[in-house]
Amino acid sequence: MTDEMSQTVTSAADSVAPILRLRGVGRRFGGVQAVRGVDLDVGLGERRAVLGPNGAGKTTLFNVIAGEFPPTEGSVELFGEDVTNKPARDRVPLGLTRTFQISRLFAGLTVADNLYVAVVGVDGGHLRPFRNGRDRALHQRAREIGDRVGLAGVLDRMVGVLSHGEQRQLEIGMALAGDPKLILLDEPAAGLARAERVKLTEMLLGLDRSITLLLIEHDMDVALTVAEHVTMMHDGRVVAEGSPSEIRGNQLVHDLYLGKGHGNDE
Amino acid sequence: MIPARLHWPIGAVVVVVAALLPIVMSDFTVSQILTRSLILGIAAASLIFLASLGGWVSLAQIGLYGVAGFAVGNLAQADGGVKVFAMDMWLAALLAIIVTVVIGLIIGVVASRSEGIYFLMITLAFGVIIRLLFEKATDLSGFGGINQIIQPEVLGSAQLQPERIYWVCLVISVLVYLGVRYFARTPFGLAFQGIRDNAARMKALGYNVTLIRTIAFGIGAFVAALAGVLNVWWNTQISPGTIDIRPVIFLLMIAIIGGLYRIEGAWVGALIYVILDNRLRSIDLVGERVATALGIIFLLIVLLSPGGVMGILESLSSRWRRSDEPDQPAGDGDGTAAAVVAGD
Ligand SMILES: Nc1ncnc2c1ncn2[C@@H]1O[C@H](COP(=O)(O)OP(=O)(O)O)[C@@H](O)[C@H]1O
Ligand SMILES: [Mg+2]
Repeated sequence: MTDEMSQTVTSAADSVAPILRLRGVGRRFGGVQAVRGVDLDVGLGERRAVLGPNGAGKTTLFNVIAGEFPPTEGSVELFGEDVTNKPARDRVPLGLTRTFQISRLFAGLTVADNLYVAVVGVDGGHLRPFRNGRDRALHQRAREIGDRVGLAGVLDRMVGVLSHGEQRQLEIGMALAGDPKLILLDEPAAGLARAERVKLTEMLLGLDRSITLLLIEHDMDVALTVAEHVTMMHDGRVVAEGSPSEIRGNQLVHDLYLGKGHGNDE
Repeated sequence: MIPARLHWPIGAVVVVVAALLPIVMSDFTVSQILTRSLILGIAAASLIFLASLGGWVSLAQIGLYGVAGFAVGNLAQADGGVKVFAMDMWLAALLAIIVTVVIGLIIGVVASRSEGIYFLMITLAFGVIIRLLFEKATDLSGFGGINQIIQPEVLGSAQLQPERIYWVCLVISVLVYLGVRYFARTPFGLAFQGIRDNAARMKALGYNVTLIRTIAFGIGAFVAALAGVLNVWWNTQISPGTIDIRPVIFLLMIAIIGGLYRIEGAWVGALIYVILDNRLRSIDLVGERVATALGIIFLLIVLLSPGGVMGILESLSSRWRRSDEPDQPAGDGDGTAAAVVAGD
């Protein structure tokens, strides 16, 4: 499948079974075939970008991987387990978390409480109607993650009053709080100012190598700096695969994407 | 908002003063104004609990309150209703609460998949169904309602010792208030609020959204059941009219007058409603048009402040504070500061 990728940094992907394996994945919405026939293997620790013009089906593919809805064709395997028809919440304990293209935060809670809810999400005890000794550690962990994504100064603010950039940082914090093995990031740089993008890139590069990263991103500087593998989608299909330099040199990619004013989404 | 460090002292003063009121107030006031306000306050708290933490406006709370009341009447063998049980009043009350919670969970299973106006309509439908069932099933509701429901012995007589049931209602009110505040800071309570703000994210974080909502609705039913039991102890009777559409609307008005998003608003709204209801009736011009007059006052309050009376108090006290001391940067934004007080 992905054998052509020669100069990759990770070697784990080829030797060990992939942690994410898609086979013939398709998703139809009424008359729209948003995703069709996608085969994809992602190895442990891999950093992969999914590129493609708007409407290519990238977010839909993420939704299928995360379990927001099942695929209409094909199968999804996570960490060696067939999860094709499992709901999203059953995939979190396996080590899968995600961010959303449009922030989905708890506007009526503080930043710290947003992260706390995310920490408890994977820790369990969702129905515990009392507090106990564990909460101190869980709150502590939430605050540490806030610190890690650069929100230390606003932990006690309500999320509704955060700037757009801070909300995007919190999106990533929510995904990291789940102690993930695989993170799906859907356009994390969307709407960020230049300096914020640089900070985001640094943070992504600094993530532990035990965390596997799958990233949708329109900003080529962010995407091609962070990723070591690139999957190019168009019209629901995978149309090219390779290293960032191969993708930069690919004529089809240029025609589809890079040619059309990349990097300046609005 | 009032500074967090003052919440406990203010709350304690309010409760102590409330507990001493029977000494200075007439029996009529204690029973017809104060006790009635507390009972309606607890019922409204069940609504505000779901609204403030869950973003759900439920119109089924009066129906659930009625289920508890009818259950007590039937189980304790009052005049009317089935005559097969003759339970001890405490046991009857306990079973009534359990039955109400079970019915609440059943409604919750259906309602937990909906939001906004759909949730409102579904809960309204359940409220109406409960009323119709009791109206048709005269075996359960008696012909003129269930009458002469006896109070537990320790409460003495409602006529002679009205302060006893009042104190019970006060204690339950305080427990409900503290319980809701405490719950808001537990993992379950925060999960419920997370679902209010973004259910899709909660699923992506691994939460079972439907289950959490269903159980939360059951908790709301539990609070409504407490009010329902206290109501029949105090009132000694219940009929299908008790859970008619008018009480449903009045309870919603109480919650909105008090402020849908602050639990203390439940009792503030109830007290205002009960006082107005009593006073307006004695004005010649109003007479039987109490509902119309209440509706106009309701409109004025809502137009003045969408946050109800609690919202008005809040903005007044923050204006007064602003002229007094410099703004704290994060203080007011920290909406949970108030809730933290409840448990630290
Ligand atoms: N929930 C949905 N219902 C109907 N159509 C959808 C839905 N989600 C995506 N689509 C359609 O699927 C196609 C791919 O969308 P999407 O996956 O969001 O693309 P991308 O993320 O690559 O911009 C688009 O034509 C979009 O309109
Ligand atoms: Mg997208």
